[in-house]
Amino acid sequence: MATIHDHAAEHGRHPGVRQYITIAVILGIITLIEVGIFFLEITSWLMAMILLTLSLSKFALVVGYFMHLKFDDKRFMALFVIPMIAMVSIAVVLLAVFGNLTR
Amino acid sequence: MQYLAGVPEHRTSTGLNNRKLLMWAFLGSDVMFFGSLITTHLIYRGQSLTGPAEEILNIPVTSISTFVLLMSSLAMVLALAAIQRGNIRGMRLWLSATAVLGMIFIGFQMFEFYEFAHLGLTPRTNLFGSTFLVMTGFHGAHVTFGVFWLWSLVFLSFKGKVRQDTSLDVEIAGLYWHFVDIVWIVIFGVVYLIGAYGVEASDAAHAVAGMLS
Repeated sequence: MATIHDHAAEHGRHPGVRQYITIAVILGIITLIEVGIFFLEITSWLMAMILLTLSLSKFALVVGYFMHLKFDDKRFMALFVIPMIAMVSIAVVLLAVFGNLTR
Repeated sequence: MQYLAGVPEHRTSTGLNNRKLLMWAFLGSDVMFFGSLITTHLIYRGQSLTGPAEEILNIPVTSISTFVLLMSSLAMVLALAAIQRGNIRGMRLWLSATAVLGMIFIGFQMFEFYEFAHLGLTPRTNLFGSTFLVMTGFHGAHVTFGVFWLWSLVFLSFKGKVRQDTSLDVEIAGLYWHFVDIVWIVIFGVVYLIGAYGVEASDAAHAVAGMLS
């Protein structure tokens, strides 16, 4: 039987207040860029790529730093990432079949 | 009650706290739940035969509500950082700020739903209305539950039941709150921005497939 991780030690690995604020500023800037790109006249394919990349960056920052997944036990990450990969794979297949991906 | 407060450092076969493990397992299942709602919406987008659809999405207003929710996540981690340092008053302040920002977000969503209804879009109008309102409605329900959870923590802190040694209670509530935030990050990017721009679901799927390969 293993013992629970020492929370005090875990907290020592968590980001500090300054880092949290930095992450929040970055998230705000990315959101501004997203909205800015929305009003640009670019092709839909490029638009989708850029917006998905920016959304993914925000997603990773919140999960990694605010939810501490970057610093926590990897089994927590497995519990979250495995269903996410499964869901994205299912979504791509469903969109390919019913969303006329090959059109 | 001691267990509920997360006081004992109980022994487990995994060495991980069971409540935190349960929350991550729940979030994993919620990924599938919201993933299915978002995918259903993407599949049916552009296939509504009657009534208003993507063109009525108000991007400037939703950008502000998205920013509000992002800032609530910052307030949430600051509440956690405060309680981990033993700063109860700081935790109450930041938890209250998180809950208030969450309520503002819900206010934005109610305004949006009201505007949509005014423009003739309800869940019964067309495929866009039913898939969009069910998806964002479930997200709003998650936010509402989170707001109640946060206020209950603030209330319990006045009774001395939320302390530095029980900071895991705040951390678990924080995991839930941040999850609600990341779901909205995906909805805002994929449904609002890409959707309102008029990108076909197939373009979005091409982009996802391209990023995965």
